[in-house]
Amino acid sequence: MKQHLLTSAYHVEILPPKQETEKLYEDLDRFSSKFERVMQSGYCACITDNAMGNLAFQGTELIEELELEAGRNQVMIHLNTFHTKADLHRILDSCKAAGIRQLLVITGDGSDRLPRLTPAEVGAEGVEAVTSVELLRYIGETYPGDFDLGVAFNPYEPEDHEFSKLDRKIAAGATFAITQPIIERHPVVDKLIESYPDLPVVVEAWMSKKISLLSEAVGYEISEDTPYDPIENLKTLHRNYPQCEIYLSILGFKTQYPLLEEIRN
Amino acid sequence: MRIVVCVKQVPGTHDAKIDPETKRIIREGIKVVINPFDTYAIEAAVQIKEEIGGEVIVLSMGPSRAITVLREGITVGADRGILLSDRAFGGSDTWATSYALSRAIETIGDVDLVICGKQAIDGDTAQVGPGIAAHLSWPQATYVMDIADINSGSLTARRMHEDGWDLCAVKLPAVITVVKDINQPRVPTLKGRLAAEKQEIPIWKAADIGADPERLGLNGSPTRVVKTNPPQGRMKKSVVLDGPVEQSVRRLVQELRQRSLV
Repeated sequence: MKQHLLTSAYHVEILPPKQETEKLYEDLDRFSSKFERVMQSGYCACITDNAMGNLAFQGTELIEELELEAGRNQVMIHLNTFHTKADLHRILDSCKAAGIRQLLVITGDGSDRLPRLTPAEVGAEGVEAVTSVELLRYIGETYPGDFDLGVAFNPYEPEDHEFSKLDRKIAAGATFAITQPIIERHPVVDKLIESYPDLPVVVEAWMSKKISLLSEAVGYEISEDTPYDPIENLKTLHRNYPQCEIYLSILGFKTQYPLLEEIRN
Repeated sequence: MRIVVCVKQVPGTHDAKIDPETKRIIREGIKVVINPFDTYAIEAAVQIKEEIGGEVIVLSMGPSRAITVLREGITVGADRGILLSDRAFGGSDTWATSYALSRAIETIGDVDLVICGKQAIDGDTAQVGPGIAAHLSWPQATYVMDIADINSGSLTARRMHEDGWDLCAVKLPAVITVVKDINQPRVPTLKGRLAAEKQEIPIWKAADIGADPERLGLNGSPTRVVKTNPPQGRMKKSVVLDGPVEQSVRRLVQELRQRSLV
């Protein structure tokens, strides 16, 4: 029997302020206001971890420093492999202290400014580099029962390869999966839901009108003039995947956010 | 131990452009960052402070907006920052710049160690660190890849060179320049950044450091930039996987994993 992941229907991605920002206080205010809005709506705030290798402040330190109230099951922290071991534990300890259970464990994107966990640091043998699989296993062993560990699922990758990777992730402790952005429906996501009936699947909706930005994620060129209505796509995803919760990336808080409640109902 | 780290604001790697008339780097209106090598210098200083105690001061010379690089230093553990900013410094070459920095170091007083990145990525001269040592008449060790030992009187370090490394000892006070191999700079925290934002950073003019105006700016610069050209684009490094198929595939997977591509 599939356990429902959360009490909230929407997972709203919030990008933390970048380290290089020259408008720190403005950016912090904006982050706080988005976070609080998501909490008030009863949705889940998903905070990214140095997305695309761009240095940004950590979700847990933002919550602590800005004294934000993390609602029960309403925060998901992305966590990648580009940390020192000490920083990794600091993040995990902060999550635990704040009652944050959900982690999206990904390999992530590095940069020259970011350290990377080594296999020896996470007790991984026979691998050249730490990926989400080794990190999942390490968190599961070091913090048993403290977290619900999610993983990314990319239906645009070769199918066999992606399913075999998912199996490794599940064996390492993954308990839910979040897809790459889906336009209307994807047969590999259908297969995922069908083949893993006990695995909660969160479907990602791309909320930017610029669908061409998805080119890299899907692995083929999407022309800049391709028409795309993110709100219509969201409605379609609700219809096609009623059993799934939805992850909203690049959500417009001014114009799109007010529509969410109505769309959900 | 009082350590001064000299830092520089440089154009972001992809934004550097050269003025065809003046042959100088255009610094207005472009994204600027802390010189990457300087982040290793700051980390080295902060690690020394954490190990044996003391104070870390970040020092820069430039326009008022260079305060942001000093705040970056404070964010990751430096105690305070000082900016040298004055029209009199304008047009300084590496010799005049290192003179101004050396005057500031003497004005700070009781400095045991000066740490610089091995070079700035805009000029690529690697002359300012050694220049500071020359102006102060202090010993120096360049291209330091590891500090093996440090105490109140001396420092032992490994210096990187093409054929390996040298182990050398210098008496303090001294100047060292560091390479990337020396450490992994810590990632800044929000707590550190907020503390840095609140800190007042003094701006010193030429008179504040008792500098001789004739030794600053164009007057004090024995060198002139005659011509500057943008560097040739670098070819991407290719890896050729030869040998038995099984071995090549294993290496390919290894390379892809290391780049987080699979």
